[in-house]
Amino acid sequence: MSVSIETTNFCSSREMDEYQSGEETLFVVDEITTIIKETVESIIGNSSFQRSQINLWSSSIVESSLNQLTKLRKPFKYIVTCILLQKNGAGLHTASSCFWDNTTDGSCTVRWENKTMYCIVSVFGLAI
Amino acid sequence: METEASTYLIRPKHKFKAGVAKEFMREILREGLTGVQYNPDEIPTLTRSLAESIKKKLKGVGFERYKIIVQVVIGEQRGEGVKMAARCLWDADTDSYAQEIYMNDSLFCVAVAFGVYYY
Repeated sequence: MSVSIETTNFCSSREMDEYQSGEETLFVVDEITTIIKETVESIIGNSSFQRSQINLWSSSIVESSLNQLTKLRKPFKYIVTCILLQKNGAGLHTASSCFWDNTTDGSCTVRWENKTMYCIVSVFGLAI
Repeated sequence: METEASTYLIRPKHKFKAGVAKEFMREILREGLTGVQYNPDEIPTLTRSLAESIKKKLKGVGFERYKIIVQVVIGEQRGEGVKMAARCLWDADTDSYAQEIYMNDSLFCVAVAFGVYYY
């Protein structure tokens, strides 16, 4: 007479559901700064301030920045703002105050200039 | 196996009301900037304090589960050209923004408040 005993190992599948909180879910300031600088450079790098063009430029800068940011494929909602200012000796100040989760969300501001204008781009990233 | 009632709300009970936010921002800007001249020493602190007060006010209104971002830009009025644009990648059903502009003889001010829902 043979007795066979079967034992079943019930493994919890909890490990598979664990949300990976690694590099992919952090707001990396340096990476984003580089992306924005390149984008601005490619759009208004060699141009002088022209009233007729600024609408187009500001739209293009925010749109391509957003496109580049989505290519990173991170679980973030993004807000990109761009300010184009003619060099006229006038002063400009920006400040932002945010109510969010400090551990996962972040922002970065990139200042760029050429002979005739300033460009200030702010990116806010909010984790989903 | 028991199933618990779901507490994970994908849609907000009360949406971020842009009109309400705009009214509050208009009030705060008017209070803070009427009669103020552009002064390079004081303006940085004033810009920061305006951003803080707007954020505090919007927190107080009580948009549940909303993350709030306020950006304030103050510039000197010298006849120069300025253009400000913003583009957002978010969920249009839940997220929204409000903007307000204030001008006097010596300065102009743009305030934007973004409300992003936290799932």
